[in-house]
Amino acid sequence: MLLEREGLLESLGERLRDANEGKGSLVLVAGEAGAGKTSLVRAFVESLDEEILVIQGACDPLSTPRPLSPLRDFAADPNAGLSGLTEEDKPAIEIFGDVLDRLRNTIRPILLVVEDIHWADEGTLDFLRFIGRRIHDSKAVMLCTYRDDEVGPDHPMRPVLGQLIPLESTHRVVVPPLSLAAVTKLVSDHAFDPRELLRLTDGNAFFVTEILASGEGLPHTVQEAVLSRVARLDENPRRVVEGVSVAPRSLEIEHAAVVVGGSLEDIDAALSAGVLISDGHGLRFRHELARSAVEESLPPARRLSLNMRMLAILEEEHNPDLARLAHHAVQAGRSDLIVDYAPQAGDEAVRRGSRREAVAFYRAALDHADELGPDRTAELRVKLGVELRILDEPGAAETELRRAVDHYRQSGQVESLAVALGQLQGALWNLRRFDEGWLAMNEAINELRPRGPSEALGTTLYRMAHNHMLARHGQLAFTHIEEARRVADEIDSDEVDWLVLMMTGCIHIVLGDADQGIRLLQESVERAKTLDNPYFLAIGLGMLGSGGGEARRYEAGIPALERGVEQGLATDADYSVAYNRSWLARIAFEQGRWDDAVTFADLVDRTTLQREGIAYITAMSALGRVRVRRGDPGGLPLLEEMTELARDHELQHGWNAICGRAEYHWLAGDPETGLDELAPAYQRALDTDSEWARGEIGFWMWRSGAIETPPDGAAEPFALQMAGDWKGAADRWSEIGCPYETALALADGPENAKLEALAIFDSLGARPMGDRLRKVLRDLGVDGVPRGPTKKTLANPSGLTNRQLEVLRLIVDGLDNTEIARELYVSKKTVEHHISAIYSKLGVDSRTKAVNAALEVGAVER
Amino acid sequence: MWVADHLSYVLGSRRYRQERRDEMPRYMVEREFPKGLEIPTTPQGQKAMLGVVQNNLTEQVTWVQSFVTDDHTKTFCVYDGPSPEAIRRAAGLSDLPVNRISEISILDPYFYVGAGT
Repeated sequence: MLLEREGLLESLGERLRDANEGKGSLVLVAGEAGAGKTSLVRAFVESLDEEILVIQGACDPLSTPRPLSPLRDFAADPNAGLSGLTEEDKPAIEIFGDVLDRLRNTIRPILLVVEDIHWADEGTLDFLRFIGRRIHDSKAVMLCTYRDDEVGPDHPMRPVLGQLIPLESTHRVVVPPLSLAAVTKLVSDHAFDPRELLRLTDGNAFFVTEILASGEGLPHTVQEAVLSRVARLDENPRRVVEGVSVAPRSLEIEHAAVVVGGSLEDIDAALSAGVLISDGHGLRFRHELARSAVEESLPPARRLSLNMRMLAILEEEHNPDLARLAHHAVQAGRSDLIVDYAPQAGDEAVRRGSRREAVAFYRAALDHADELGPDRTAELRVKLGVELRILDEPGAAETELRRAVDHYRQSGQVESLAVALGQLQGALWNLRRFDEGWLAMNEAINELRPRGPSEALGTTLYRMAHNHMLARHGQLAFTHIEEARRVADEIDSDEVDWLVLMMTGCIHIVLGDADQGIRLLQESVERAKTLDNPYFLAIGLGMLGSGGGEARRYEAGIPALERGVEQGLATDADYSVAYNRSWLARIAFEQGRWDDAVTFADLVDRTTLQREGIAYITAMSALGRVRVRRGDPGGLPLLEEMTELARDHELQHGWNAICGRAEYHWLAGDPETGLDELAPAYQRALDTDSEWARGEIGFWMWRSGAIETPPDGAAEPFALQMAGDWKGAADRWSEIGCPYETALALADGPENAKLEALAIFDSLGARPMGDRLRKVLRDLGVDGVPRGPTKKTLANPSGLTNRQLEVLRLIVDGLDNTEIARELYVSKKTVEHHISAIYSKLGVDSRTKAVNAALEVGAVER
Repeated sequence: MWVADHLSYVLGSRRYRQERRDEMPRYMVEREFPKGLEIPTTPQGQKAMLGVVQNNLTEQVTWVQSFVTDDHTKTFCVYDGPSPEAIRRAAGLSDLPVNRISEISILDPYFYVGAGT
């Protein structure tokens, strides 16, 4: 009997009707354990027409969950049309894509049920996020149940809920406790006081029905209620119940007889007493609460022998389930079996993208190091260290990796030592302990070099080059990558070849040969596509985007960053999305597209969880610099905060914030204060081979009066201006496409150049420089200085951003989207994006109407 | 119930964000109207004012009050808002100029009365 759930059922039905019209949704059903979530779902499923296809899956209460457990359930359902979904070695993202395709290309509406997602492994959480973000345009409803009282602030599901719940296509419902009226109705012919029952159970539906079924006096706990009901069974059916209790989720009927030695009649007796239910293929408890109550009540010896029998059965299976084997091995305390199954289950979890579960399996095996032996222990520690690094626990990773390194040193296993040292260096880099990282790399290289070319040597040399590149030590990086190239020529490795190609491109940019660097990085992107390696593709695009950005080669950088964002969104690589957007913010700032810079920075701010990460620093530094140049409040504190966050990083991450502070203090007439941070940064810049670091930091040193001539190797436009060639600098800046810098250079020229600069500052909304220049011009006695910026340049009447105006002008000029994309060095998709924003701001729905509206309000001139 | 539940979550998360960032900062927004600002006390004037309020809502900024010079060429507007950028976006939507934004706090002369005795 399902009471007080009519409203919920009706809402669920409504969601399915919407789905039938192409408006899919995610429905989260929350409630405490025993609130009746599963009963609600079951009643809903039973009420549905034949026309609706129901596909069901669930997460397991195993001590370490099976990776992608619900997806395996989908694959096993012959009606679902998803057979082969979870085949061995299929990458998670492809599996998710297959399910999405299924949901999008269906004629019948689909109800996809995932139960108990509070137990989901990490891979399943990725799945929920992937589908949850995309389900809105499918003919499907994904219905997930979870225990909301078990999802605390540190629960791995919390960030996933945080991302999904605000979406318009997500609906969350809570299954409320039963009311007094409902309890009274249920009690009806029992001799209980409904008020007393409600007080004891807090209206928990499972608890209420369990007590009513036990038929005795009021017990104190739900466990007591469950156990008293089991105790009333005869011995043989009771043994069946106990046997099923060691199998989380369910026990296959054909196994039940073997495990518990019971007959089919005993199974029937347990079923008819209502303690167990059968779901078609297996026996299970009506509720997980009941299962764990029975399991915990088993005497230790009985529990052990039941788990041993489960192991024996599972081992016989054709394609044994590693996570289940590992679970029962741990429950049975058999270390010989744990060290066999847990590492395999860990490897499988890695393949499925369930890193937290992999860590748990590896740790379970490492608890039995004696049984593993020293070599396998070290091997597992390296694997564990790799996963811990990815999970952002570098300190724990360091501990594991150092122990592996010690073992390989003592046993003289050089290749393995080099691999472990390479990972250790990565962990130390995450911990910002660069010097110790270099020690690790030097040790690896000294061991590997005498043994001749190998993949380990090539990778280690690449790694050293990469670290020098990050510190902008271009020459040192070049020496190492050249040696790596010679190694790569001797061995046959696509990976090492690619890494060398990509890194050589980065190094050329650092060394000032941007043309060659960009060409090589573009080649690396193409080759990553040929190799069909999404990880390489993401790195290549990020390097081309940020390298092109740093060298102010926007025509190469922007399209790479936009593609990086698109690729990241398609694969839910959130970090990659944030990193590429942060560089789009920085470039928009440099190009004087400040509204766009703010938009990108806001996007990073709202979506990034790592508030100390590099993407966050880059984005917030751009926002801070926009505020400084506009004369808006809040710029300096933000830049000070970013300077602190970037303090232990390489110079590249802090230099924008530091230059922005110097600019602020210079504008405020107090350049001395800016030098506190600027002068040490300048020393660090001189220690690099980066012309743009030397150029920009040198420029603000010069502006602040701390140096008189440009440093060697400063980027051309900065060097020209510092040398007094304001005209040459302005021309270069204008070619590059940096209007604010162009105006800064013009402001150093004679009267007419200053007036030109003022017009640019006014059009950008750069009030502090505008005010400053006005005063200079008035002091010079120049006539006809505009009193202030005109309203039109401050906020154009249509509310369009500068970029949107640019697009609109090209539309008025008659260009099509492809031509506009080419003209602005952006993708066609981005142009379409801008155009739809323009339409909505102008309130039109066609190109012609947009042109007319734009001309009418004076947003553009023909 | 669906809608209410969804909203309470969104509002809940917003409350959290505000608590974390303390209170909304307060800003003084200076606007210049070289030809003078005229808001007629007619239905058109009322519509214009409501439009401003509506636009502010989309950016979560609140117009607290304004002072206008006698010649109507300049206004000083007190706003609460999440950031100076939100103030600028709201101004753009309402077609209002922004000449300067300053973050401000209250200085009350009577706070000092009696402080020296």
